[in-house]
Amino acid sequence: MGRSVSLITLLLLSTANAASEAPRPRGVGPDFAKYYKDSESFTCISNPSTKLDISRLNDDFCDCPDGSDEPGTSACSYISPLSPPQPDKPNDSLALPGYYCKNKGHIPSYIPFTNVNDGVCDYELCCDGSDEWDHVGGVKCEDRCAKMGKEWKKQDEARQKSLGAANRKRKELITEAGRLRKEVEDRIQTLQTEIKGHELKVDALMKSLAEIERQEKGKIVKAAGKGGKLGVLSGLAKARIEELTENLNRVRGERDASRGRIEELEAILKRFKEEYNPNFNDEGVKRAVKAWEDYAAQDRPGPDDARDRDLDEILKPDSESAIKWEEFVEEESDVDVLYKFEEYLPTPLRDWVDAKLRALRVTMIENGILAAPNTDAPESSAVTSARTQLTSAETTLNNDRNELKNHEEDLTKDYGPDEVFRALKGRCVEQDSGEYTYEHCFLEKTTQKPKKGGGHTGMGNFVRIEKVTVDEDLLADGKGLGSGERYALKYENGQHCWNGPSRSTQVILACAESDEIWKIVEEEKCVYRMEMGTPAVCGLKEGEQKGAPVHSEL
Amino acid sequence: MASSLRIRSAPRWTAVLLLWAALCCLFVPVVMVKQHDFKKCDQSGFCKRNRHLADTAAASSSWTAPYALDAASITFKDGQLSGTVLKTPKEGGEKVRLPLTVTFLESGVARVTLDEEKRQKGEIELRHGSQARKERYNEAGKWALVGGLKVAEGAALSEKAEKGYTKVFYGEAGKHQAVIRHEPFGIEFQRDGETQVKFNDRGLINVEHWRQKVEKPAEEKKEGEEEKKEEEKKEEEEEEKGEDESTWWEETFGGNTDSKPRGPESVSLDISFPGYEHVFGIPEHATRLSLKTTRGGDGNYDEPYRLYNADVFEYEMDSPMTLYGAIPFMQAHRKGSTVGVFWLNGAETWVDVTKAKTSANPLSLGTKGHTDTQTHWISESGLLDVFIFLGPTPADLTRQYGELTGYTAMPQSFAIAYHQCRWNYVTDEDVKDVDRKFDKFKIPYDVIWLDIEYTHEKKYFTWDPLTFVNPTKMHNHLDKRNRKLVAIIDPHIKNVGDYPVIDEIKKKELAVKNKEGGLFNGHCWPGDSMWVDCFNPETIKFWKALFKYDSFKGTAPNTFIWNDMNEPSVFNGPEITMPKDNLHHGNWEHRDVHNINGMTFHNATYQALLERKKGEIRRPFVLTRAFYSGSQRSSAMWTGDNLAEWSHLEASLPMVLNQGISGFPFAGADVGGFFGNPSSELLTRWYQAGIYYPFFRGHAHIDTRRREPYLAGSPYTEIITQALRLRYQLLPAWYTAFHEAHTTGAPIIRPNFWVHPDDEAGFAIDDQLYVGSTGLLAKPVTKEGADSVSVYLADGQPYYDYFDYTTYQGKGHHTVPAPLEKIPLLMQGGHIIPRRDRPRRSSGLMKFDPFTLVVALNKEGSANGTLYLDDGETFDYQQGAFIHRRFAFDGKRGILTSTNLAEGSRTAKLDAFLKSMARVRVEKIIVVGAPKSWKGKKEVVVMEEGAKESARRKKVAIEFFEGKGKQADWAVVRDPKVGIGRGWKVDFLG
Repeated sequence: MGRSVSLITLLLLSTANAASEAPRPRGVGPDFAKYYKDSESFTCISNPSTKLDISRLNDDFCDCPDGSDEPGTSACSYISPLSPPQPDKPNDSLALPGYYCKNKGHIPSYIPFTNVNDGVCDYELCCDGSDEWDHVGGVKCEDRCAKMGKEWKKQDEARQKSLGAANRKRKELITEAGRLRKEVEDRIQTLQTEIKGHELKVDALMKSLAEIERQEKGKIVKAAGKGGKLGVLSGLAKARIEELTENLNRVRGERDASRGRIEELEAILKRFKEEYNPNFNDEGVKRAVKAWEDYAAQDRPGPDDARDRDLDEILKPDSESAIKWEEFVEEESDVDVLYKFEEYLPTPLRDWVDAKLRALRVTMIENGILAAPNTDAPESSAVTSARTQLTSAETTLNNDRNELKNHEEDLTKDYGPDEVFRALKGRCVEQDSGEYTYEHCFLEKTTQKPKKGGGHTGMGNFVRIEKVTVDEDLLADGKGLGSGERYALKYENGQHCWNGPSRSTQVILACAESDEIWKIVEEEKCVYRMEMGTPAVCGLKEGEQKGAPVHSEL
Repeated sequence: MASSLRIRSAPRWTAVLLLWAALCCLFVPVVMVKQHDFKKCDQSGFCKRNRHLADTAAASSSWTAPYALDAASITFKDGQLSGTVLKTPKEGGEKVRLPLTVTFLESGVARVTLDEEKRQKGEIELRHGSQARKERYNEAGKWALVGGLKVAEGAALSEKAEKGYTKVFYGEAGKHQAVIRHEPFGIEFQRDGETQVKFNDRGLINVEHWRQKVEKPAEEKKEGEEEKKEEEKKEEEEEEKGEDESTWWEETFGGNTDSKPRGPESVSLDISFPGYEHVFGIPEHATRLSLKTTRGGDGNYDEPYRLYNADVFEYEMDSPMTLYGAIPFMQAHRKGSTVGVFWLNGAETWVDVTKAKTSANPLSLGTKGHTDTQTHWISESGLLDVFIFLGPTPADLTRQYGELTGYTAMPQSFAIAYHQCRWNYVTDEDVKDVDRKFDKFKIPYDVIWLDIEYTHEKKYFTWDPLTFVNPTKMHNHLDKRNRKLVAIIDPHIKNVGDYPVIDEIKKKELAVKNKEGGLFNGHCWPGDSMWVDCFNPETIKFWKALFKYDSFKGTAPNTFIWNDMNEPSVFNGPEITMPKDNLHHGNWEHRDVHNINGMTFHNATYQALLERKKGEIRRPFVLTRAFYSGSQRSSAMWTGDNLAEWSHLEASLPMVLNQGISGFPFAGADVGGFFGNPSSELLTRWYQAGIYYPFFRGHAHIDTRRREPYLAGSPYTEIITQALRLRYQLLPAWYTAFHEAHTTGAPIIRPNFWVHPDDEAGFAIDDQLYVGSTGLLAKPVTKEGADSVSVYLADGQPYYDYFDYTTYQGKGHHTVPAPLEKIPLLMQGGHIIPRRDRPRRSSGLMKFDPFTLVVALNKEGSANGTLYLDDGETFDYQQGAFIHRRFAFDGKRGILTSTNLAEGSRTAKLDAFLKSMARVRVEKIIVVGAPKSWKGKKEVVVMEEGAKESARRKKVAIEFFEGKGKQADWAVVRDPKVGIGRGWKVDFLG
């Protein structure tokens, strides 16, 4: 090997004399050519105190502490913070980015020194095969640059074209987002006007209610519990039965809800029994399964529908079996008539007397002289109606206010760059992967749907937009994250995992002509990562589309 | 009505609440191994009976074992003594005839075998109409032994034996002597006239002879307490006069009943090592290297060591409890002597260890107090068959044991590099992604592993069509960087329709059978399953066919196999394994072969991998969890399902060291811990320790977070990468150590006592290790937050820090700094260590890289070392195609030489190999501890054999570096350009 190296060095030197510009030694890129011009000696790039005879350049032995004397071999590849330390090479980083592959016909690039002469043709980085110049183990790497370059150009053109389309689509999305925002803003305006109107209305209604109530206070009210003892009893019975009915209704509702929960629990346990992993030999699990089996084996009567129907009948206020309370209301007694002396007066006088009496009565009540009318007594229809009106006006006002608040908040919410995600919110994209179909609904949720059937699994609900740094290969077709900073949508608190956390998903976005999920990975138990293309993130200043994407590793 | 409704729903609610409570228990942090899943000695009838015998013997001063060798029966012929031992049964009646053979082997090893005539001749009756064999199991040797059985021609009866004794001289120059006492029967094994091993010294020998079950009259009606009490009394009485028969005919554990058709049949023997304080061996247990005693007392165990291969879930630390594998080989060590015994028995076995201290006699000067170690071996069935090794060195023992059971297989070179495993890489894309990430982060690795999820519904030999869509493409992808894939294949075969593998097993009856003789069904990963019975030659034939590339579609030459669950693990079986009354090929009961069973399975896989395509013969790689003596010939092992806890990291070192001295050195523990999530610090420290496991694999449970080294983050990823690159840098040294293990049985990583057998202070040290014969001494950090370790140096040589040449010298403990980024690793002066310094993506890509030799000088200024190198793949090395060099630096003459250690003649295969390696050179020689006189030296003279005359004396540059402080001086010879396969000389004074 040594002989062949010196022969090459000689060749390099002889050609150097012939040409005006010295050709660069093997593996040196144009950026570093200036360090390799001297034909007599070589000075280590980061350690200028070390000057070597030119014969030590590329002789497959590492002399420079920064490895710069071996641009064309792997001799200095061990100089790295990732290697075990050595006392005689205190520098632990290389001066050069790697071995330079000229890749004529394609794009030049650097390949790590560790890959030089290791017997593998690394065409992805070194299409000219020059990284295996020593042919160790008989390996021969042909020059594939012409073919790969041509293919790449073709793909690059397609990519550029697609990129153009993607950018146009993004513009459309931004326009759409703008329109949606405008809609919100308009709505806010409308709401603000409406709210003002509603506020006035509520004020007015409140006043009118107060007045009516004041009037009501003056009414002489029939004392409760008059009549015979039976009447009192029937009054009490009615009140009690109403109370009981109400409670029964509530209990029944609760029972139905519990039944639902039991069914859900039983379904969970059934699944648990079928799916638990017996190898964990976990006594707790085994006991639980056994307990479930015993439980499931017990014979239990199902819900009794007939009795439920009876109950319904009883509870219905207008059913035939219901007690008709009105039939039991006693007629007014003669004594009452006596009080109604007003009715014997002429109308104008009556009104006057009535007004005066009421005023007097109100004054007396207000001054604590007279007792207030029994509050348990039903309100008069006038009050009820006024109150209803007020409540309804207030509800409308509150609704409007809430809507306004939501819209206002929405305007301050993060919708990503140029609020582009406003246009995508709720849009869903699906992708098949292995045994599942995955669905991503922008800014809403991610879902896993088993192809074999069975329930869908929530993989998280939208929480925020974030930025992440990625470093991935970009496939030739441009479908991939590449490297740099990317937008990501974070979804959390999905369905809880057995023996694990609640599911969550990070959807990382890169530019593409259409919305498509490229890859779904379960990075760790129940933590998912989706890589997705969307025009929404195109043309952002990360510059991910520049140059040959596959070469972005170095 | 409302109330009736309430009453009706009440019990349901209670049940639901109970269930909830039960479910809540699941979320309590996982508990350790469930003790009640596995037997203690007194739950195992034969162990209880024999331990009781030991107690009885110890309690009585006049105890004698009722066994006598019939002097008239003794014959001696061709190195073998035969005779009959007569047992006088307690219950009276006819004496039981036990045929005895004592075989003296050429290697100096003796073998004692005791059988039982009635069973041997089949003159017994089996209960329950069992089809089981009547003999004691006599085929353990067929599976465990491969050689070393040549009898000693020189062995001879001694004329001078006293009355009642027979003496045999054997071993090299007749140095060994077996003194056989006739009554009670016992043997003392002596070396140079000194007793080293004693059989039946305490009279605990026991061979439970066959007897008819005496059906007792039906029990009387139980009426009230009194009678019960009486019954108890009766039992006590019975125990005193006769024997406790309660476990003779039937035993139930955990709801499973063992029908025991042959009744009680255990064998047991006490073996004493007079003057020996330490005993090692009998893996696999999560315990220290120097075995603790088992009869209670402070810090000791109160249970015997158990050997009964079992799938122990989240096993306990510091316990004599059984684990996944069994090697019944024990060695006793004292200054100047190592001896041992190999208890060849495949049944459930328990070993009690006790130590008897004799204090020094103050009246007689010069007699030091000493310790005797006593052991008591108890097996459920089979022959009493023991090998006795008389050393005298640890290396003699491992060599002799290896001659019998075979040396560790020479692995393919990738197999000793780094393995990346996880339960599970879930798709073929996942595999490729992990592969890419290793490259992206410049972390070397060689093998990626697939656990059970790759299969289609847990049917082995299939791929999940949805997740592993294109396994061939995946293999090709890995092969580009010379990487491999290991896929799991377990012995349980799913019992479903439309699965040709099970169809054929059923048709040809290739699976283990139940006690009735039908195919046994049990539960494992796939649900209802059957277990291939590899004791059956037909099964092996069938198994071999399954692995052919055109049968196991989607596999390639870079696919290798992992055999798990071969204890065997049966989820619904007793102690999570097979019922003992199951039947194997030849109608041997499972009880007889349990510990051997796992080995037959991985052996079958090994045979299947040898030649998957006609003419393509490669060294197989098989990983096994269960093992027995002999497993080393065909597999590597790992210590099973450990936990991501510091204590498990710590315990892994004595466990792997113990594997090394017990003949099965290709061993490792799951790096990072299988269950649970290690902290970044623990993960980093585990990698720094894991690089010293001969078998080096990162693995994780399916419920854990991903933890591939590149995910750890800075600085952990960088530190872990350094550790991995260190392993790769030293692969030539590791490969050489494997070759040594393969040819001499020497452990690959070695405990202190093995390397320094005369250094008493270091006998119990099991937390530091030597790598092969390289003099590399590592002390992995196993404590959280540690920033230094205390390394024990057993001699006065200088020890140099591997990374900065700081020198430590002087016998005793030295503090070596160990911040997180530093791996405590020293080079013992006197060694030459071969390395390859260029980092590559996988070990296969280092094949043609040049070597660096590190010459670490000893006190005398000398050093030597070896290098073994072959194609790392084929069996051509067996035809001489390898490079084996000895490097020696002579301090006085200042000359470093490379000489050939390969003895064979030149073969075509060798020539081809040498040709392929012709350009592989030594690029650097680092002399650590270089003499000061070299300061200012600029050149050395290099001479290489076969070089042209003009290049005969080549001058090569040398640079001298002066160490600072405690740092040694060192010198670097710049590119001597000498061939690694050639003879050469470097003259430092010339």
